[in-house]
Amino acid sequence: MLRDFRKKILKSPISVLLPVSGLIILGLSTLFSITTTTQGQTPLNALSKQIIFMIPSLILMFIILLTPRRIIHKYIYLIYGCIIIAVTLPFFGEKISGTYRWINFGLPFGLQPSEIAKLIIVIALARYLSDHTLKIKNFYAIVVPFLIVLFPTMIVLSQPDLGTAFVMIIPVFTMLFWIGSRPIHLFLIIAPLLSVFTAFDILVFSIWATIMAVVIFLARLKLWHALGLYFSNIFLGLIFPLMWGSLRSYQQNRLLSLFNPELDPLGAGYQIIQSKIALGSGGFMGKGWGQGSQTHLKFLPVQESDFIVSVIGEELGFLTLLIMLVLFSWLIIKIIRLALDTTDRFSSLVLVGISTIFLTHVFVNCAMTVGMIPVKGLPLPFISYGGSFLLSCFMMVGFVLNFGREKLD
Amino acid sequence: MIGVVVLVHSALAFRFFQLQVLDFDIYNQRAENNRIRAMSMPAPRGLILDRHGEIIVDNYPTYILYGIGAEIINKKHNYNVISQSTGIDTTVLKKNYQNYYRNRFVPTRLAKDLTINQLSRLEEEKNELSGIIYKQFPERVYNQKIHASHVLGYLKEIDRQSIGKLGEDNQYEYGDLIGWSGIEKNYESSLRGKKGVTYYQVDAFGREAGKIFGQENILPYPGKNITTTLDVSLQQLLETELRGRRGVGIVSRPETGGILAYVSAPNYNPDLFTGLISNSDWQSVIADTNRPLLDRAANGIYPPGSIFKMVVAITLLEKKLINPQDEIFCPGSYEFYDRTFGCWNQNGHGKINIEQAIVQSCDVYFYEVIQKIKLDELAEAAKQFGFGLETYIDLPSEMKGIMPTQQFMNRLYGRWGWSQGALLNMAIGQGEILVTPLQMARYINMLATKGKTRTLHIVQNKNHNIPEPNISNRSWNLIQKYMSKVVTAPQGTGRLSNPKIPGLKIWGKTGTAENPHGEPHAWYIAYGEKDGEMISVVILLENGGHGGEMATPLARNVFKHYFNSNRTKLAKN
Repeated sequence: MLRDFRKKILKSPISVLLPVSGLIILGLSTLFSITTTTQGQTPLNALSKQIIFMIPSLILMFIILLTPRRIIHKYIYLIYGCIIIAVTLPFFGEKISGTYRWINFGLPFGLQPSEIAKLIIVIALARYLSDHTLKIKNFYAIVVPFLIVLFPTMIVLSQPDLGTAFVMIIPVFTMLFWIGSRPIHLFLIIAPLLSVFTAFDILVFSIWATIMAVVIFLARLKLWHALGLYFSNIFLGLIFPLMWGSLRSYQQNRLLSLFNPELDPLGAGYQIIQSKIALGSGGFMGKGWGQGSQTHLKFLPVQESDFIVSVIGEELGFLTLLIMLVLFSWLIIKIIRLALDTTDRFSSLVLVGISTIFLTHVFVNCAMTVGMIPVKGLPLPFISYGGSFLLSCFMMVGFVLNFGREKLD
Repeated sequence: MIGVVVLVHSALAFRFFQLQVLDFDIYNQRAENNRIRAMSMPAPRGLILDRHGEIIVDNYPTYILYGIGAEIINKKHNYNVISQSTGIDTTVLKKNYQNYYRNRFVPTRLAKDLTINQLSRLEEEKNELSGIIYKQFPERVYNQKIHASHVLGYLKEIDRQSIGKLGEDNQYEYGDLIGWSGIEKNYESSLRGKKGVTYYQVDAFGREAGKIFGQENILPYPGKNITTTLDVSLQQLLETELRGRRGVGIVSRPETGGILAYVSAPNYNPDLFTGLISNSDWQSVIADTNRPLLDRAANGIYPPGSIFKMVVAITLLEKKLINPQDEIFCPGSYEFYDRTFGCWNQNGHGKINIEQAIVQSCDVYFYEVIQKIKLDELAEAAKQFGFGLETYIDLPSEMKGIMPTQQFMNRLYGRWGWSQGALLNMAIGQGEILVTPLQMARYINMLATKGKTRTLHIVQNKNHNIPEPNISNRSWNLIQKYMSKVVTAPQGTGRLSNPKIPGLKIWGKTGTAENPHGEPHAWYIAYGEKDGEMISVVILLENGGHGGEMATPLARNVFKHYFNSNRTKLAKN
């Protein structure tokens, strides 16, 4: 038995752990810098909590690593059901910082089931896509996969947690693409959303309408389908501003704040400005570990989680951020390579989904800190402070080690 | 797909490079600005002193309470706690917070003028309060013996509109105090001083996080003290004399124009404007029909009545149109075409010359002699004494009064709408002539110095001296003789003004100005001299009755107080 385990571990793509440990060290040392100079230290500060969370994370990683794949395959729908219930549980608890994200067990920290839900959804989706021999070139074949994802996504969206909802929805596209879905179909799914969003600016909408026309033309759909799709999208874009105008202003605000929770000018705008100042003032080599004035004078908001990149950028400089990005790309490319190497469809789909989750997190988080996209509260894998997220990251590493292994069982 | 990963990471790396390497200088500068906060330190305003160096306006430390939006946890709770321990109404706190709010990180003023007492009670509740801080602020405090409210003026919090009007380079920030009237306004630039700056490191919540090495604070430069020509004890006496009345008292030194006492009654407590007084007291000042806020000395205009007669007398004497010996019979009234002009003494003064006409203030004499000249000649002469002209006293506002000319009358009534009868009225200082008590102070000073007086002032002469009237020494001497008789003669209307101090000589003239508002205004202008030291007095009692009976005793008390007290030799300013 033990020997079996040893064999399992040794056959795993352990090199994945190299970038992971590099990122963990970077994250912990940054948290150490933040917490040492913070006034009014509590015994359970961000750093010690993070270290404590490492223990269950590593244990879970090993458990997942050792669990036979067919067991995962067998029970994943059940787990999927459980996680959907778990995601709805916070609604019965009390609101924390204006959202229903956490379940409180009376511990000094809460658990965020939506963090775990992301990867469960990916695995459940992988099973669906690998079990059924779908006529994947057919548009209607991608409807069920979307439903699998959309159901929990809508729940998370109403918590509200736009960032996590975004991370949940993205892997569907890569996974469908992976198994050969036509890109035009994926495009058609995003099209109505884009039609709605671009409708507010006549120029942007015209550009969008042109792009859409070109894409639909190149896709060589049946004329009847092409015209129908095109004009229903245009119609949607035209009708939406009218519908929007008929809403009362508080209703508009309620919808807008769903997509941009920090609508107040001192919120998001302030955070981005401070984040850019912190990053920019770090320069090439940084101000030195523990020397960041923006960090330690608390100009930088949510610095231990969402804006931790700004802390690294300020104190350790561009060079360290570059190393960090190299580590991330190493990790993600490694996972994709593993997906390419596996012959098993289920495994490769899981790996593709996980790599997508990582990539989305890295992109959204970094792009937000440098002001490329609006503020969305998404943490940076292995580096940001946050128990549930750390747990889910190591679970994903566990899955990568497990599914990336050459076939043993 | 690997390509996508590389692309995403390269895009991010490029953006980091752009921010951290290319734009490093910009952001580094902004980071410095971010953590260094400069806070202005108020400069203590200059003190205002009297001529003997006694402090009239001082500063004392008060405390201002601020709330910091970002740190306040429960606003309502804070308001309640503050209200309970200081007695300030929660609605006031709420209103202030809204008025002064700039952003979440800048302290917003909640209340001012907190006493040490209120502060210590607040300190006990400190654990209950979040985001509440206080700062010391030098506040004006006034000499309790006197009000002198119209001279001193008051400070006002400057509003955004006014800051804009002051031009670009002014130092003022919203909520700063600025001299808004009186000498606080006129001497604002020297009293104000220069604000200092404290630099300190702050965290994102604006909380002080230590000093910055190598960055020296700029200390505030206190405002200059201002020594006025006022005399606190005389001011106090005059304020006491005028208490409960409506009127004006001005005491000055004819040779210099320096004002010793300046009272416009009723006045108000200058503390009113520092916020130490309750709202209801403030309302009572505003609603007072006696208008205590009005500075009657500079901005009240009144008919001069008989005190104008010296202008007529001098003019006629100068033009040799009357002889001091010439007598006119006064039967108590005067017929002029179809109109009858009364003398104040309905029984008549009998046969009377110019001396007696001034001593007993006979009107009929002046009705008769004024007809020898034209209105414009009279106006020209009156202008030499400053009628219808500003005194250029160093206060922010004053009225010019009216000295009518032919043109003025034509404009007012039309070419044929007025007649010679108007001139008769003006001969006794009635009709369209209107003067301010300050103009009368200058007038009496000219009479006292034979035209060699200087511009009236409270701090310093602004060099707007009106030219010396072109009047012969003979006329001056005659007029001064008559004015002396007003006080010394048994029938003299100003005899009650004599405190009978050996060596003290007094010259004066009473006035009883008829007006449409009821009882006549009582006037008395006089000057007294003893051992080469001279002061002049102007008394006006609105609707006070006869000048000779009502106004003269006030002047007597001023003379008595001034020449009796064993004061040290005064500085000649």
